[in-house]
Amino acid sequence: MLYLCIEILTAIKRNNVQMHATTFRNLGNIMPGQWWQSLHRTMLRGVLGKTFRLVGYTIQYGCIAHCAFEYVGGVVMCSGPSMEPTIQNSDVVFAENLSRHFYGIQRGDIVIAKSPSDPKSNICKRVIGLEGDKILTNSPSDFFKSHSYVPTGHVWLEGDNLQNSTDSRYYGPIPYGLIRGRIFFKIWPLSDFGFLRDSPNGHRFSDD
Amino acid sequence: MVASALYLTNGAHQYGYECLTGMAQSKGWVRRYFKAFCKGFFVAVPVAVTFLDRVACVARVEGASMQPSLNPGGSQSSDVVLLNHWKVRNFEVQRGDIVSLVSPKNPEQKIIKRVIALEGDIVKTMGHKNRYVKVPRGHIWVEGDHHGHSFDSNSFGPVSLGLLHAHATHILWPPERWQKLESVLPPERLLVQSEAE
Repeated sequence: MLYLCIEILTAIKRNNVQMHATTFRNLGNIMPGQWWQSLHRTMLRGVLGKTFRLVGYTIQYGCIAHCAFEYVGGVVMCSGPSMEPTIQNSDVVFAENLSRHFYGIQRGDIVIAKSPSDPKSNICKRVIGLEGDKILTNSPSDFFKSHSYVPTGHVWLEGDNLQNSTDSRYYGPIPYGLIRGRIFFKIWPLSDFGFLRDSPNGHRFSDD
Repeated sequence: MVASALYLTNGAHQYGYECLTGMAQSKGWVRRYFKAFCKGFFVAVPVAVTFLDRVACVARVEGASMQPSLNPGGSQSSDVVLLNHWKVRNFEVQRGDIVSLVSPKNPEQKIIKRVIALEGDIVKTMGHKNRYVKVPRGHIWVEGDHHGHSFDSNSFGPVSLGLLHAHATHILWPPERWQKLESVLPPERLLVQSEAE
């Protein structure tokens, strides 16, 4: 059996060698050196051309994607418990950036902002107060209520899950320039598909 | 006669065909130009916008808060600087860099100042409500070179790195002020204590 296999393998090898020989011969009267040169040239040109086209398309679509995310909006996945029950951990939401550019962020909007202590990470909170608003800064256990005013150019953010949220009650109001976009629509999970609800905590600011 | 009739119909046929293709061609060039314009528009505009947002752009400096480094002539001749976004894409700045950032008091405005201190450093302030300030994590302390005429961290405190916009590297206009902007701390603003060393 083994001898049979070896016989078959050597026969195939012999046939292969014979095939190669015929290909070489069938290329007519071209000298072998020229044949290699022309093959290299066409292969190289084809590969280079394809690479340049691929790079060009990548740059073009990358730029279109950047413009879309920067000026229109995009899909974001949120993580963390600080916005429960409105947004749960690993929900997928749709964020739009037009409100930020036209300065149309209102009280009660859920926004994505750059974290003030780590510019490479994003936070997702609700806007409780705009500039000039009076904010209650004490926790419910304090006896005396303490107020503070939101300075110009800043916003006061709080998560919906007040017990488990690091927000402006911890690091103070953040500048408006850190806001990246406004979340207004939830895509996943499908059981919660649709526009986002109002804050479950009622009004935490006094308008007087 | 039949032959000539055939010849005529053939000719008419041919003429009609040429007419049709002629018309198609004359309308075709409009469509072709429109297609080329759309293609160019959708390629050129996003690429240009991305370049100006992510790589580099130029800006005119206004105000006297960075004299004498920038705008020494006051309002007669404003300097034009090259703003490099690529260098700050990871929010890495050094002490002494001239940077542009979104103003924390007015998000529609960009201000250009020098970085004096990074996170963890203790700064001796000039005109701030606290005499010494420790710069918190993720923040920087910026000041204009013209003390007293500058709206900077001495007024609004340390700024978050997320507001960083670009690093000003060169002066491009006027031509007699062509130079590379050096990252050097003014000698009177040396630090009290820095975390890095």
